[in-house]
Amino acid sequence: MKKILIFVLAWMVVFSAAAHALDVQEVVGKKSGVKAWLVEDHKLPIIALRLAFQGGSEQDAADKQGLAVLTMDALTQGAGPYGAAAFQQQLADRSISMAFSAGRDELEGGVKCLTADKAVAFELLRLALTRPRFESWDIERLRAQQLSGIRHQFSDPKWQARFALYSQIFAGHPYSQRRLGTTETLKALTRDDVKDFAARHLARDTVTVAVAGDISAEALAEALDRIFMGLPAKAQLNAVSDVPDFGETPSVLVRREGTQTDLLFALSGPKRDDPDYYAVEIANYILGGGGFSSKLMQELRDSKGLTYGISTDVAPSQHVGLILGHAAVANAKTGEALDVIRSTMRRLYGEEPSVRDVDAAKDFLTGSMPLALTSTEKIAALLVAMQRENLGRDYLDRYNGLIRGVTAADIARVLERYFNPDKMALVAVGKPEGAVFSITRDLAKE
Amino acid sequence: MTLARISCFVFALLVVTMGQACAAVFYPSHFTLANGMQVVVVPNHLSPVVSQMVWYKVGSADETPGKSGLAHYLEHLMFRGTANVGPGEFSKIIAAQGGKDNAFTSRDYTVYYEEVAVDRLPMIMQMEADRMQNLRIMKETAEPELKVVLEERQQRTDNSPQGRFIEKLQGRFMPGHPYGRPIIGWKKEVERLSVSDARKFYETYYAPNNAIVIVSGDVKVEDVVSLAAATFGRVPKRDVPPRRAFRPAGKVGEETFVYRDARIEQAEILWRFEAPSYATQKEGNAYAYEVLAEALDAGEVGLLYKKLVMDLGIASEVGAGYDPDARGDADLTIAVSLRPGQSYKKLQDALRATLHDIAEKGIDPKSVDDAKRRLRRAAIFAREGLAVPGHAFGMALTTGSLVSDVEDWPDRIDAVSVDEVNGALREMVAAKRQVMGALLPSSRASALKGRKGASGLLRGAKAK
Repeated sequence: MKKILIFVLAWMVVFSAAAHALDVQEVVGKKSGVKAWLVEDHKLPIIALRLAFQGGSEQDAADKQGLAVLTMDALTQGAGPYGAAAFQQQLADRSISMAFSAGRDELEGGVKCLTADKAVAFELLRLALTRPRFESWDIERLRAQQLSGIRHQFSDPKWQARFALYSQIFAGHPYSQRRLGTTETLKALTRDDVKDFAARHLARDTVTVAVAGDISAEALAEALDRIFMGLPAKAQLNAVSDVPDFGETPSVLVRREGTQTDLLFALSGPKRDDPDYYAVEIANYILGGGGFSSKLMQELRDSKGLTYGISTDVAPSQHVGLILGHAAVANAKTGEALDVIRSTMRRLYGEEPSVRDVDAAKDFLTGSMPLALTSTEKIAALLVAMQRENLGRDYLDRYNGLIRGVTAADIARVLERYFNPDKMALVAVGKPEGAVFSITRDLAKE
Repeated sequence: MTLARISCFVFALLVVTMGQACAAVFYPSHFTLANGMQVVVVPNHLSPVVSQMVWYKVGSADETPGKSGLAHYLEHLMFRGTANVGPGEFSKIIAAQGGKDNAFTSRDYTVYYEEVAVDRLPMIMQMEADRMQNLRIMKETAEPELKVVLEERQQRTDNSPQGRFIEKLQGRFMPGHPYGRPIIGWKKEVERLSVSDARKFYETYYAPNNAIVIVSGDVKVEDVVSLAAATFGRVPKRDVPPRRAFRPAGKVGEETFVYRDARIEQAEILWRFEAPSYATQKEGNAYAYEVLAEALDAGEVGLLYKKLVMDLGIASEVGAGYDPDARGDADLTIAVSLRPGQSYKKLQDALRATLHDIAEKGIDPKSVDDAKRRLRRAAIFAREGLAVPGHAFGMALTTGSLVSDVEDWPDRIDAVSVDEVNGALREMVAAKRQVMGALLPSSRASALKGRKGASGLLRGAKAK
């Protein structure tokens, strides 16, 4: 490697990266009061707009699981003067991409177009949000597609693992519900349900907007008013509480035929606004977030060949903080794999990670930031997330400092607080050997 | 940019809505080093980052029979250490620089790629040049890596009914042909791959004159070319055996088959037709097939969606895929998901009837026009993607196409006529080489009969 580094030094001057600050403007629609963050970029004739409304599938009543998803899918299936086929044709004719979806905590969507088509794109967006038709025939077609989606879930061992896990750790909370719904709840949803959900959740006071690309602040301000003025001023949301800390959780085996077992494990983690969040990202990178560099990959894949991939992620939602890990291993090797996962975590939990490992994590997290900014769509999506998490317009400039500022003491503290392998909630899907589970279930099939 | 290029670009911006475009997509610069290595550079100043892709002109189709999976195995071993970089260190170093890296193997090419901040380009280029000539393949690391490959096969295929179904479909579609075998290799053959197999394959095919590097990002062309000469340019060229011409694939046996598995809940049908690639096309008809695939697929305005999902309500999703970047013949595959509550036999009949109907009546000029326009516009959106030029030029240059073929693509699509599209459709529907496979849930009856493809419930119980 030394040889390579010597070579690299000689070329540093040629390929120095210019300091590239992203200029984020705040734009406000005067009539609608809707705010948007904007990054202007006129190098290509492309504009991307992303938005999010507060409250996603967690807003579904227990007997109406799947409603948020169905409603958002229906927005592009006919609006204003256009039936479903005509609306889709309008989009296709100009290669305008428009799509909506429902996540757990928010209803998301966006539109991407060439500059020349922005008037049409924004008008179609206005119609989708404010005048969706929700025709019965189209809702039936979407229901059938969503039902197909539910069936796909049943045959996906990763989904089966998540469902079993969330049923345990989120019991009694809307997060344990199924985003696509159950066969029963989905079949019972009506057109009125969909209309009602849209009317209550698509409003001006709960929307977050971001735009990147070939548009000026003035043009955007006008567009915001045109697009959003027709929405009600206020949303009517169901209140959702935080998830209580999950204590000791019995391990679950979901029996599934096959040659491999999928392992999914969870630990309580920080919420996004926790001051220790960045320290946890670093600790997680070292344990399992760092791809081929992580301790778990080194132990399970590199030295023992037990898996093709194992990873851990810091996965905060609005009402819970989680650290999630996943691996697929041969049935016969499950016991061994679990032992290695636990011992690897315990080693990290018990000892301070080396300065080298911490620096490598910091190097990756700071160095990879520009890779998140390689398209108008990615920039707009990032800006929406930054607004929803209250990170501030200068977050990208402060990011390096936030990561570099984490100390060894911070990391020791978060390891102690969050990375105790004895507090792991565990689900296995497959026919594992060499491990014992407290509860055994069959695959979810409804 | 030369004056000609600038005015061409401006022209393209002004007249894009009129449907005319200059022959240009990415504006690449293309060079060949003294040792035969090809270099393609595409400046893109959206973000201070760079994508590097190294494409080797070797893939699973170049393997000798009996040693399937070798190209992919070597891809794994390329991360297991060189004389200068320790085993497993490659990706760690890239990550420490905030970069991302990975690799993939296909039938006609093996690709290694990175994305990093632009000032790290000298490092990643030197590292790729290093493993192009200095790879160390050793028993201590090669043997555990073989296990990882087998685990990967488990995950993607053996443990996945969808994976096994696709493997079966492709095997029936091109029996006895290199494209008919799985890229990851047959399990029994992979198990027997040796360290010396891997070394021989590396020494035979990994040479600068058998590779292309594509750099796209916040760079100046001259700088990249100098850097490439100072890194890849120092790797000695080698004699690489010419790629074997393909013998025609064997006859298709049963044109329809059913694969059942208890883990499948959602029935799907895949219908695969032979289609020309850019390499095997006659009179440029691959472009007609591209327009055809777009007209048939195209999200919710595609012809198949309109009939099978909207009108008949018998399918819930439809798609059509076609990739003409191959050395041998390609395929056009239609995929349909059964709407719950409907019968798969009815869907099969409806699919056949619909396609034959469209072929007989012909696709109307407006649909063809719409499809062409969508394809041309996709080329404009593609200019935003950091690694898109890498994929486009890599797939082209490893399968017998030229840089100019990529740049001329929008014009060639534009030149496709309605007659040509309908000619392609009629030819496709009448093709002798076509296979329709249905991936279905297993019924209790078939599970008790212990049919192949069923989850092995019966066999498992007996083995205990």
